[in-house]
Amino acid sequence: MAMPKQRPDRIGRREMIASAGAGLGFVAMAAALADAGDLTAMPPPADALAPRPPHFAPRVRRVIQFFLNGGPSHIDTFDPKPLLAKYAGQPLPFSIATERKTGGALASPFRFKRYGDSGLEVSELFERTAAHADSLAVIRSMRARLPNHEPSLMLMNCGDAVQPRPSVGSWVLYGLGTENRNLPGFVAMCPGGQPVKGPDNWQSGFLPGVLQGTYIDSKHERVEELIENIRSGHATAAMQRRQLDMLSRLNAAHRADRHDPRLEARLQSFELAYRMQMEATDAFDVSREPKHVREAYGETVHGRQTLVARRLLERGVRYVQLWHGQGQPWDHHSDIEKSIRQHAGELDGPLAALLTDLKRLGMFDDTLVVWGGEFGRTPVSEGGTGRDHNPYGFTVWLAGGGIRGGTVHGATDDFGFRAVDRPVEVHDLHATMLHLLGFDHERLTYRYAGRDFRLTDVHGRVIGDVLA
Amino acid sequence: MSQRLRILLAILSLIAFCNAAVAGEAVDLFERHVRPLFVDRCQKCHGDAKQWASLRLDSLQGVLDGGDSGPAVVPGNAAVGELVTRLASPDDAVRMPPPEEGPPVSSDVLDAVRAWIAAGATWPVGEAPVATTKANARETHWAYQPIIAPALPLVADESWVRGPIDRFVLAALEAAGLRPAVEADRATFIRRATYDLLGLPPTADEIKAFESDASSQAYETLIDRLLASPRYGEHWGRHWLDAARYADTKGYTDVGETRWHVHAVPYRDWVIRAFNEDMPYDRFLRLQLAADQAAPHEPEHLAAMGFLTLGRRFLGNTPDIIDDRIDVVTRGMLGLTVACARCHDHKYDPIPTRDYYSLYGVFQNCVDRLVPLPRRSSAPPVKEDFAQGLADRQREYDALVTQKRGEANARLRKRFADYLLAQRDLATYPEQEFVQLSKEDDILPGIVRRFEVFLRHAERAGDPVFLPWIRYAALSDDEFPNLASEVTAGLRAGPQTVNPLVAAAFADPPVSMADVASCYAALMAASDARWAEAVSAAERDGLPEPTCLANVAEEEVRQAFSGEGSPCVIPDEPLVQTDYLWDFETRQALWKARAAIDAWLHAENPDAAPYAAILEDRRTLVDPLVFRGGRAAAKGDAVPRQFLEVLADSARQPFSRGSGRLELAEAIADPTNPLTPRVWVNRVWLHHFGAGLVTTPSDFGVRAAAPSHPELLDWLATRLRADGWRTKPLHREIMLSATYRQSSRSDADRAVSGHADTVDPSNRLLWRMNPRRLSFEQLRDTLLTASGDLDLATGGRGDGVFGTRRSVYVTVERQALPAVFGVFDVANPDLHSPQRPETTTALQALFALNHPFVADRARRAVMRHAAHPGAEAEIEGLYRGILGRSPSDSERQDAARFVAAALVEPAGEPPGETVLAPLEQLAQVLLLSNEFMFVD
Repeated sequence: MAMPKQRPDRIGRREMIASAGAGLGFVAMAAALADAGDLTAMPPPADALAPRPPHFAPRVRRVIQFFLNGGPSHIDTFDPKPLLAKYAGQPLPFSIATERKTGGALASPFRFKRYGDSGLEVSELFERTAAHADSLAVIRSMRARLPNHEPSLMLMNCGDAVQPRPSVGSWVLYGLGTENRNLPGFVAMCPGGQPVKGPDNWQSGFLPGVLQGTYIDSKHERVEELIENIRSGHATAAMQRRQLDMLSRLNAAHRADRHDPRLEARLQSFELAYRMQMEATDAFDVSREPKHVREAYGETVHGRQTLVARRLLERGVRYVQLWHGQGQPWDHHSDIEKSIRQHAGELDGPLAALLTDLKRLGMFDDTLVVWGGEFGRTPVSEGGTGRDHNPYGFTVWLAGGGIRGGTVHGATDDFGFRAVDRPVEVHDLHATMLHLLGFDHERLTYRYAGRDFRLTDVHGRVIGDVLA
Repeated sequence: MSQRLRILLAILSLIAFCNAAVAGEAVDLFERHVRPLFVDRCQKCHGDAKQWASLRLDSLQGVLDGGDSGPAVVPGNAAVGELVTRLASPDDAVRMPPPEEGPPVSSDVLDAVRAWIAAGATWPVGEAPVATTKANARETHWAYQPIIAPALPLVADESWVRGPIDRFVLAALEAAGLRPAVEADRATFIRRATYDLLGLPPTADEIKAFESDASSQAYETLIDRLLASPRYGEHWGRHWLDAARYADTKGYTDVGETRWHVHAVPYRDWVIRAFNEDMPYDRFLRLQLAADQAAPHEPEHLAAMGFLTLGRRFLGNTPDIIDDRIDVVTRGMLGLTVACARCHDHKYDPIPTRDYYSLYGVFQNCVDRLVPLPRRSSAPPVKEDFAQGLADRQREYDALVTQKRGEANARLRKRFADYLLAQRDLATYPEQEFVQLSKEDDILPGIVRRFEVFLRHAERAGDPVFLPWIRYAALSDDEFPNLASEVTAGLRAGPQTVNPLVAAAFADPPVSMADVASCYAALMAASDARWAEAVSAAERDGLPEPTCLANVAEEEVRQAFSGEGSPCVIPDEPLVQTDYLWDFETRQALWKARAAIDAWLHAENPDAAPYAAILEDRRTLVDPLVFRGGRAAAKGDAVPRQFLEVLADSARQPFSRGSGRLELAEAIADPTNPLTPRVWVNRVWLHHFGAGLVTTPSDFGVRAAAPSHPELLDWLATRLRADGWRTKPLHREIMLSATYRQSSRSDADRAVSGHADTVDPSNRLLWRMNPRRLSFEQLRDTLLTASGDLDLATGGRGDGVFGTRRSVYVTVERQALPAVFGVFDVANPDLHSPQRPETTTALQALFALNHPFVADRARRAVMRHAAHPGAEAEIEGLYRGILGRSPSDSERQDAARFVAAALVEPAGEPPGETVLAPLEQLAQVLLLSNEFMFVD
């Protein structure tokens, strides 16, 4: 069965349905957040039917992030460096320490072309995505701090290289609440197993555990393998309905002479769970999409994962993170020409299809699409055919609502080693993402251990250039 | 009294006594013009969040204190003070607000400001009382004041009072016009008390026995019975494990390091035992910080130090490991957020960054060491080959370490001159957090930094061997050619003595630092040759290997290059400490060998040999340096190792014994420490009432809300100390109070409860008991109890989350936490957890509905409680077994109808052969009920 075209007003109705039973659940939620720093951002419990409004009118209401774990080479994808050909095999005029020993310059073996009215340069690796060139804002001057995966993953995902801190998705969920309590508000999908540092990447840190990302191994296709406890192995829906009715009578008698909103909230949580079993099954079942849509995404692991992500976003999931695969597939230390072609090949089609699909469904204008990894790669070679980690300059691009498409922000040096023009720190990227979601990143705070913590710590400024 | 305080008081009294009309006018000016000016135009940069130029314009105190440029306002004189000067200046560079923040303030407003100042700068006191500031917090903030036993308050209704606690609670209720709830019935009370102390429900028989206990000591008997149960330590131990960020694994590790904390289980068991034995709380703390020194003859207590060593490994990055330890100690034991001061002085509390690094120095001067604990007689027998297997692995590891140390030391000596020169160029070598896949022959950043630290200490100590290096190194490259000979002459002249061998080497001025470095390399080579000669001479003469050279000067040089603490020698310390000193490949090889030992101890021989990871003071101490902005690369001033200024008396002395760890422990557990007992009694109170008297259990700082009952808090703290810091008497005192006995319901008289709901909706004054929801551990243990499956074995290796042992024994794997932990708000093991959040979500309900663990409990509950045939008996049995009571008549009928309907209705598409039978479905409903999940 085809999913009917989803319009924003439809999501509004879904919110109503989803939240109608959750109203009192929110009371408990609010109690859990009572230690929150910015309580002004929260509606009083009586108004809990609606998700929480941000600080100002948002440009987007949901995020999908393609996380190319391992560190995608910017030099081979969105940041062309022709000068490298001249230096091929030769040392650069300067040297910078990275994780490993590196040698001479390694020119990109991939052809770059200009696309769209903007003439944005994109390599052949992402030629299908490049059809949307005029929708992308490419930040070529990203900077991280350390040349190692673990701290850089933490910095990109949680805003701090080492200390356990809430992930971006958890902050967003904390700030906005969820639009659909029948589904987890923050989903991290990674096919075949988890990335390096596993659940730390989508942790809720000191925020309540309910805000952490729900991990889904998107290698699977059956819903009961995708979400824990979504199906009962011991009761049919009819049996559960009878049980819940009995439970409801039992709880009603118990509640009669007690006034504790948590009692009602818990009762409602069972009704929600009952409905969620249907809704989640529906959300993860891509066979309900028309054939041409499935084919556009591609009937591959990444095609399916991306299409599931779109179905989740449609249903009000706030934040979906799509990892490329277990471990760090984009960690191209050797034979980059072959392996990056393979990995980009897996991603380009689904990514392009998603952008097309979001536009078709009218969702592009209130969705933020983020593409990037924990860092980029060196312009100098490792062992002749690979590239080492490069936190000094790399690329992340944004697309969707509030984004000025067809723009390039900042630049790396002539070789692509260091961000030199208008460098963008990871905190700036986070500040910008929060800004698009309607938050002043300095005011989205949580009181913990005597401090009002922020995603951006004491840093971060919104990158005005990439905003429409 | 400080000058400022005197001025302030003078002004306040002036305001109080001056002409009411004038004061009124000044207040009017303030409210109409001045406050809006401050709020709208100034406080963004000079307020709570930011204090540019150290200026705050959000209180009278702030205005009087002024900022870097001086007082902002001098009351009564509008002609002086920075405020008017800045507002009125024609100069864009001087005027405030700055041009980019909008136009200058209007002349009307300026006039109003001048008039307000002239009228005495009245700042209405009720609106904005003089805030406790960092400067006066030590004198004014309640939590930092000594604990003095408060007098018991008088109350109107004496008849309600059962003990001293009740006087404090009732006095506050009476003052608010409230009255306490009725007493809870006995069934409610025993369930509450049993969960509170044991984390488990009472059995139906226990409930019945308590209900029919006619003795006047029924309550006392019950509480004493519960306190004597070994289940008590398991439940209260878990509360402490939340504070201790307990986990069985290290979290993410690299290079083949084992993920298991081999010493986690013994720590957990030690905590449980400590609670069961009612160990005095001060001793409980001392042992966790310094059992090695506080109880040197009681090795079983070394397990306690897991508190410090159970944190994440942070990829071996020392500053983060130490930060984790500072945080767990200060928030967990003192209710102070000291870790806030890692990068800058604490924003609110009087905790300077220097104090953070004073504590940093304590932990920096300790090494982690894994030591065997005495086996308990009750421990299961050990495999025969255990000792041999351990010895084999240890031998392999030791041999590898010896070999690698030897090789590394040889390489280091070969490149001695390079390292001497490299440490002058520190910025080139990344900090520990920047991991490089280094090779053996690289200049290793860790060694470079070790050289730098060594030379810094050598400089302070006036080291006779390295003095020339230090003096020459003080010259810039430009100065060197001209001034080197002066330095040479200065060295010769004294007064500091140079080792004669070294002095001889520098008889002629060197031409460059490279020259100085090679001179030292030659000195080292000569020293090594002398030693080799001495060794072979001894061998030749059939004498034992020498321990030193006979010539004092020669021996001094030898020590500098080869002795313990020399930078040319990789220290003989555990791998966790030397991690940063190895090249990457060697590091991997060493960790692999180490992991073989850990695996033998942990995975292959569970329970064989309990180990403790302790801290030991280093033999050579280093002085901590402040890291500016928290960055290890930005070294600042040296600070002494000492206790926190805010808690020390005026004669604070640096710690003098080793690292100072024992002195730190003593200062924390000192009876005069105003925080330690308050923080602990508040935690105990929290777990009895669902909310602390102080609502931020791990932050008693300036920003914490004041206690709801400050005198009660102090009375409890006094009582704790008077009872020898024992916790069980505290439970008894609390649980026998009328306050604790109250019903959690309040609608017997809706008018009264409605009033209370309005006056005190969050029940801070305790006009009733707070109903509580079961924690994940309580829920899981109760499910297992209901099905008769709970395994009460104590201690030892952990169980899976869907096993049958008590929840406190469920293994906590940092990198692989069961999803159900997050779903049910279990404490995050990465961080000290002051108090768990409580959420209600559909994911919890999905678990309860669909997880086989719950379904199994329903099946087993039926087997256990519905053994007597007949619908009537079966239903009765299930209610009693699961809810601890008989069903009412209408419940009985409803349940019977449910079972009957389930029997006849088609089940729909059967999900498999594991489908629940009708009675089992009923059992599951009872397990899911709110009555099961909440405690009145």
